[in-house]
Amino acid sequence: MKTLKVENLHVNVAGKEILKGVNLTVNTGEVHAIMGPNGTGKSTLSQAIMGHPAYEITEGKITFDGQDLAEMSVDERARAGLFLAMQYPAEIQGVTNAEFMRAAVNARRPEDDQIGVLPFMKELDKKREFLSMSAEMANRYLNEGFSGGEKKRNEILQMMMIQPSIAILDEIDSGLDIDALKVVSRGVNSMKSDDFAVLMITHYQRLLDYIVPDFVHVMMGGRVVKTGGPEMARKLEAEGYAGLRDELGLDIVLTDEDADEDITGGLI
Amino acid sequence: MNQEVIEQLPLPEFAKVRYRPWHLEDLDAGQGSSHNPHFAHDGQTGAEIAGQAVAFHHLSEELHEAGVIVTNIQSAREEYQDLVDQVLGKVVDPGRDRLTAANFDQFNTGLFVYIPAGVTVKPVLHLYLDHLAENGDMAAHNLVYVGRDSEATILQETHTVGEGTSKVSIVTEVLAARNAKLTYANLDALSEDTAAFMHRQSNLQDDARVDWVNAAFNDGNVIAGLTSKLIGEGAHTEAKVAAFTNRKQVQGFNTELINTGRHTIAHIFQRGVILNSSSLIFNGIGRIIKGAKGSDGQQESRVLMLSRRGRGEANPLLLIDENDVTAGHAASVGQVDDEQLYYLMSRGLTQQVARKLVIRGFIGEILAKIPDPQTRQDLVNQIERKLAHENV
Repeated sequence: MKTLKVENLHVNVAGKEILKGVNLTVNTGEVHAIMGPNGTGKSTLSQAIMGHPAYEITEGKITFDGQDLAEMSVDERARAGLFLAMQYPAEIQGVTNAEFMRAAVNARRPEDDQIGVLPFMKELDKKREFLSMSAEMANRYLNEGFSGGEKKRNEILQMMMIQPSIAILDEIDSGLDIDALKVVSRGVNSMKSDDFAVLMITHYQRLLDYIVPDFVHVMMGGRVVKTGGPEMARKLEAEGYAGLRDELGLDIVLTDEDADEDITGGLI
Repeated sequence: MNQEVIEQLPLPEFAKVRYRPWHLEDLDAGQGSSHNPHFAHDGQTGAEIAGQAVAFHHLSEELHEAGVIVTNIQSAREEYQDLVDQVLGKVVDPGRDRLTAANFDQFNTGLFVYIPAGVTVKPVLHLYLDHLAENGDMAAHNLVYVGRDSEATILQETHTVGEGTSKVSIVTEVLAARNAKLTYANLDALSEDTAAFMHRQSNLQDDARVDWVNAAFNDGNVIAGLTSKLIGEGAHTEAKVAAFTNRKQVQGFNTELINTGRHTIAHIFQRGVILNSSSLIFNGIGRIIKGAKGSDGQQESRVLMLSRRGRGEANPLLLIDENDVTAGHAASVGQVDDEQLYYLMSRGLTQQVARKLVIRGFIGEILAKIPDPQTRQDLVNQIERKLAHENV
């Protein structure tokens, strides 16, 4: 079993504190979901775990399999078994999807056991079909000109090819229609095992109907404020984040509430 | 042209490139030959010219019978004078500048290719021009004549063989007759101790198509001109240039496309990568002449700086003298995108591999047009070699 452990994590972005003491433990074999209103630090948490250079850890730490991530570069974290399906994956011209994925798969394999083109393509075809992706995607440039939905599927395809220990899915459901959502969920569910964990970040309970979590965490104001089971997501959907905030007696202004107030304030 | 006249001609204009210290005008074409091919190998169709000798030559019976000619320019002048006369000095004006005039005056090597009307050459024509550095300077003149309705793909490599500080002058004239289709790919790989002047020009008649794919992988100082004149109606040219500069090298490119005929299409696409304290200058020039109605001139030049000590420029120039046209340009000089690196590294690629992929991708669109998989792989290896020297 591998464990990703986030302890009292404080993270600054461009000098502003976004995470204010996050605690979270994810073990392989588990499915976690992080929910929360806009601007509450969910994506910041995922980028801090992966090691994006713009996200500065000011306090606390993240460990994976006992190793302090602060001492590992982005690629070392990936090779250790972490994966982040990004909300806005970069587009890279001139590098084909297949070429890139083979390099990624081989990056985790020893020098004397690199996967050849043919076995790789066979595996890629199998997984591509499983995700209902067209054959031509392999030869297209990485994410270039991909629609929102194609990018999401491509992230999941990479996850399935790379076979990480812990995959963080940052709003993998945003911009997907219901059919695409089912396909993506099928991909994630096919990975479930005792050696694999998922940490989904989402706004909507809908995703959790397809990928059923063992734990649901709610983040607000840069912290995890409540952890529960899948039933909590349904309750949130019904009552909204403001309801939970008031129930917990938290003094946090939600971004969207803020926006409402601004509009009214401007009018009156 | 006598020496006195040549010396009074101006040097060619390469904006922002200071090449006078290279003394390209002091050219002294050497003599000498190598009879063994250095690059060509059995199974290829084409020729290798090493100094004054033809070191390799192969054309199938079928191509021979069709009247296709591939030889060196000295033999061509003896055997096919009338064909030579139709191209030599007809595409490029010998008096256009001092360096061109010196080439016309001194050239004693080069390639001659003739594709008769209505012939389609299926195999890629592999042409090699070897600069034998031990024999001193090289003055080479290449002529390519593609007849009416004919089609061919040329892949030419120009290498320095051996050691020695010297200069190279290469002028290439291409005549594409009505409805001829030519892809002319060039891999330039002159040595660090070779300073070069190159000028390539194609003239296109009605409905002709010439696609240039030039990979400038020289290690030394180079000024390279590339011109396509779209004279006939409906002619079309794509000029793609990929360049890598490293160490203290300077490479300057003038890529000029001229729309003269109606409904002509001229596109420039350039990608340059700069390492160490080298300089790379792309001057893209699109001219649309009055009367070239319904024509299109586009250009895109991008430079990737991998070093703060390097210098890169992409200068677009559009000169349009006709109203009924479409034209546009894009140019940029930038660095490797951190978000791209982060994304690739988040999949486990080391920074070194990620960078290599981004760089290769940057010029990938041009590499993909090189009409031979082995040469494409050679270019990828060359990139790796240049990147390995990055911090030297």
